[in-house]
Amino acid sequence: MSEMPLTIALSKGRIYKDTLPLLAHAGIEPVDDPVTSRKLILDTNHEHIKLVVIRATDVPTYVQWGAADVGVTGKDVLMEHGSEGLYEPLDLKIARCRMMVAGKPDATYDGDHVRIASKYVHTTERFFAQRGQQVEIIKLYGAMELAPLAGLADVIVDLVESGNTLKANGLAPLEHIADISSRLIVNKASWKMKHATIKNLLEQLSEAVGENNG
Amino acid sequence: MSQNNTWLLPEGIEELLPPEAAQVEALRRRLIDLYQTWGYELVMTPFIEYLDSLLTGTGSDLDVHTFKLTDQVSGRMMGVRADITPQVARIDAHKLRRDTPTRLCYMGSVLRTRSKHFGGTRNPLQVGAELFGHDGIASDVEILLLMLETIRAAGVRQLHVDLGHVGIYRALVKQTGLDHEQEMALFEALQRKAIPEIKALIAGFDLSDSDASMLNALAQLNGDETVLDIARELLAAASTEVHEALDYLQQVAVEVQRRNPDLSIHFDLAELRAYHYQTGVVFAAFTPGSGTEIARGGRYNDVGKAFGRARPATGFSAYLKVLVRVAEEQQPPRREAILAPWSENAGLLSLVEQLRNEGKCVIWELPGQQGDAQQMQCNSVIRYSDTGWVVEKL
Repeated sequence: MSEMPLTIALSKGRIYKDTLPLLAHAGIEPVDDPVTSRKLILDTNHEHIKLVVIRATDVPTYVQWGAADVGVTGKDVLMEHGSEGLYEPLDLKIARCRMMVAGKPDATYDGDHVRIASKYVHTTERFFAQRGQQVEIIKLYGAMELAPLAGLADVIVDLVESGNTLKANGLAPLEHIADISSRLIVNKASWKMKHATIKNLLEQLSEAVGENNG
Repeated sequence: MSQNNTWLLPEGIEELLPPEAAQVEALRRRLIDLYQTWGYELVMTPFIEYLDSLLTGTGSDLDVHTFKLTDQVSGRMMGVRADITPQVARIDAHKLRRDTPTRLCYMGSVLRTRSKHFGGTRNPLQVGAELFGHDGIASDVEILLLMLETIRAAGVRQLHVDLGHVGIYRALVKQTGLDHEQEMALFEALQRKAIPEIKALIAGFDLSDSDASMLNALAQLNGDETVLDIARELLAAASTEVHEALDYLQQVAVEVQRRNPDLSIHFDLAELRAYHYQTGVVFAAFTPGSGTEIARGGRYNDVGKAFGRARPATGFSAYLKVLVRVAEEQQPPRREAILAPWSENAGLLSLVEQLRNEGKCVIWELPGQQGDAQQMQCNSVIRYSDTGWVVEKL
């Protein structure tokens, strides 16, 4: 790998944990542990490669502005955030789940004036607009499952992994919106200026994804 | 909202303060002089005109970006220019009507309803040059070289150029028979290099294996000059239009590289900037430290059709404030100023006049004012000595 400096943005938690083995396949390993270290910029075994560990929803922003050259972020975040200034060339097939409409098993949500709670405001609006339905969206930041129970919303739009949280609250998945997994995203300017470095990384990650899902 | 915020500017609207305003103005003058030596004539287009004229031709993408208002005189919709290029095309097609190649340059404020780049300004200072009336490598190369000179004049040293050709995608779309909806869906995914989505889209298009593999190849065809040879192989079954476009791209690159041996050139056959009106080679410039392109351009033939006269055209544009901000070599904000005591003495008055005629900055120290020479950012003062009024360095 050539010596162009490269900054990789990752989010804490599951994406970080699942991305490390992929990066290891590309020969990149962090020297610091983000759990024990308070550092926000982590050194790696390569002098010129740094990791920044930030909130998932901030990853596209860092990459768009070129504050990080590449990043790993969920397709849900990209759908909500938009992709201006970004390339999203690789599906890493990690942190997989589904974005779904969910609610009480007998909930109906046809017609106008349906209230939907979600943190994915744009994605929800687009999804319902595409089938010609005007909906009222209530932006929430967490504990979506509570909204239908407390009468705040008719249904919710949220990520569903196992469905256990829904079940435990007497809710059920009602409609599939999109399959979600993590994507490698790349700043457009970095792609042009650090092409060899990034293409090399892309190839190795792609190989690792292939082995994981072989 | 606080009651006392009359100083607050709207989001994305910015003003330039000293010394940045002086740096931008200095660059503006250097560029106008530069364009003059290349034979580009300056045009000054109106800040506002009828919306119809702004949104034709190269302006077709600009609808959502344009501020609109109703003309109380004619009852028609007017728009504040969001891009000067369509105005310059109008001037070439309708006002000048020359048969010779026409070289025009422009510089001015534009206004955008939303910042084009996340977090960017809504009132950028646009600068650019257009060459009308010639279709071919020579004019594309000239414009690309002038774009590089523009960026260098700003003090940017590390330059990367990205080259593409929208004719390749257009010809492949035609050859494979995609309808408009498919063309736009694939275009959108190509702009994101969303390879999994591109594969899924193409798989759903019901194409022959050979056609599908050519469209799939596009997203991979980027990198150094070897890309063009790989493209010739992967797109071997493509129409002659595609191969002519590849040859054209290579010739442009060779010409530009010959004059700029150290320039880093990157090819990207899926980069379709301003796809709606570009017709040939497209290019953009990048520099380390900027996460977005700092200048862009390309060929857009048939522009002017809407104004009654289609002419081949090629051009580039950039934003002055962006260029000043990414420059590595900033001219130090140097202020050579002389503070003169306020007086009606004839000898002093004539000295001040003489200094100003020499181009020096002389500031009157007003009676009873606050601040001495240093606080007034002056590095000299005028004093009365045995030999009369003299300038003294501090």
